[in-house]
Amino acid sequence: MVHRVASSESPCFSIDERTGKLFSTLLKAGSLAAGLLIWHFLAVYAINDATLLVSPVVVVQTAYEMLFVNGELYPHLFASSWIFFYGFALAIVVGVPLGFVMALSPLVRDYVNPWMTTLYTTPRIAFAPVLLLWFGIGGGAKVAIVFLGCVFPILINSYFGMRAVNRDYVELARSFRLRPWALFLKILLPASVPFILAGIRLAIGRGLTGVAIAEWFGATEGLGYLVFFAGQTLNVPTLFVGVAAFAVLGILGFELVRRVEAYVTPWRKEPQGG
Amino acid sequence: METLNSVLLRSRRRWEFPRLQLRKDLVRGSISVLAGLAIWEILTRLLLENELLIPPPSSVARSFWKLTVSGELNKHLGATLLEFAYGFSTACIVGVILGYLMGMYKWFDEIMDPWIATLYSIPIIAIVPLIIIWFGIGMVSKVIVVFKITAVAIILNTAAGIKNLDPVWLELAKSLRLSGWETTYKIRVPGAIPYIITGMRLGVGRALLGVIVAELMAANAGLGYLLRDSSETWDSPKLFVTVLLLAAMGLISFNLIKRFERRIAPWRQSAEWSTE
Repeated sequence: MVHRVASSESPCFSIDERTGKLFSTLLKAGSLAAGLLIWHFLAVYAINDATLLVSPVVVVQTAYEMLFVNGELYPHLFASSWIFFYGFALAIVVGVPLGFVMALSPLVRDYVNPWMTTLYTTPRIAFAPVLLLWFGIGGGAKVAIVFLGCVFPILINSYFGMRAVNRDYVELARSFRLRPWALFLKILLPASVPFILAGIRLAIGRGLTGVAIAEWFGATEGLGYLVFFAGQTLNVPTLFVGVAAFAVLGILGFELVRRVEAYVTPWRKEPQGG
Repeated sequence: METLNSVLLRSRRRWEFPRLQLRKDLVRGSISVLAGLAIWEILTRLLLENELLIPPPSSVARSFWKLTVSGELNKHLGATLLEFAYGFSTACIVGVILGYLMGMYKWFDEIMDPWIATLYSIPIIAIVPLIIIWFGIGMVSKVIVVFKITAVAIILNTAAGIKNLDPVWLELAKSLRLSGWETTYKIRVPGAIPYIITGMRLGVGRALLGVIVAELMAANAGLGYLLRDSSETWDSPKLFVTVLLLAAMGLISFNLIKRFERRIAPWRQSAEWSTE
């Protein structure tokens, strides 16, 4: 993110804008093509071992088969999506109000803070066996792992969003004698929406990682299961397809939230975080 | 050097300020933690006859003591820390160099961008099996996992830092007739340091997760291995010891880097810690 914003600002010397853009697109495409070619030749001529590396052609073929011929990918995609959406929705439902309460009451913040920071900074994978112990290998543990991954960016951003509301707006509300509830709905909530959306965007990546972790422990379907099963059976083409599916989902989700952000908060040019 | 020194001086002055204010939070925080532990102990003693689901804190502490005395803990902790240190230090060197080049030369940036973006958007967990296939179950695969995670974060941030450098400083370098090399290590790199540190901080948390995942999948030492071992043998106190240790590691590394960052770049807002 930081990176993309920065590159659009750096000046283009002497070349005019359009040629510069064309040139940059060409360079990017060239780099991708060269990389894929090197990968192909490495796989076919240098390594020549299907359990280590396969050509991108084979990966694309496998992806095509799994998508359009035998449709093997869909049940996995579907299973993962459900876990992701439950965990994600729960994280929003819990994270946003809790963030607000913590921002509005220092007392709650101080008492909750040590627990939250500990949970937040611990690598999530550590909780997976414990959650499994409590919830069993059904959906509950998986949703809980995704939830744990998503909730903190959302909570923290709601907290900062509420804290960062411009004081002048609050003063204005006071002089109009808004009731506390109206103050919340008309001033505090809209002002913190951009922050919440930034938190949601960050949560997508963490949620996907959570899905992968969750499905590694005792799942029978899902993208994470696909990747780990392929890894254990040395099925490299399927492994690559699974990894690519994760990457595509991540990019799509990220882009989607960015669109929503641009639509809901058109006054913000540069979203926070990233 | 002048600029860096003045920055350090400024930060030292600012740093002492919030310390006194923190007291009240600390008191409340420790009350909260102690109360939580007490409730945990009492409830588990009263309600559960089986320690399998939630062991009381006292038996977790006993298990911790046993593991420490037997030297088992030392071995696993040492393995994880060593893997982490190797991967992290290599990533810092490579990441800063590549990031510098990307920030300096637009064509290099264009060439690297699609690959870095792809690497960045793949969840680390998903590529761990691949790395294990390529580099085996030993230490090397874990070092590579840590390296990949940290390097991407540092590259992106270093490049941003070099690009966002205040043009005034470059003017200064020009009027002092610094050579290209001097401009690099006296102006550009120190100017990008706050960004580089941010990259390191972002890398640490994810790298810790990555190393544990890799150890969980296939290893014969390390905290991830301990986690797997204790959950497979249904040894709950041991499992909780590992979880608490990981929590402590996360907390310590997070706070160290945050403090370091605040010292070096005090003008950056703390809202930054929302970005993982």
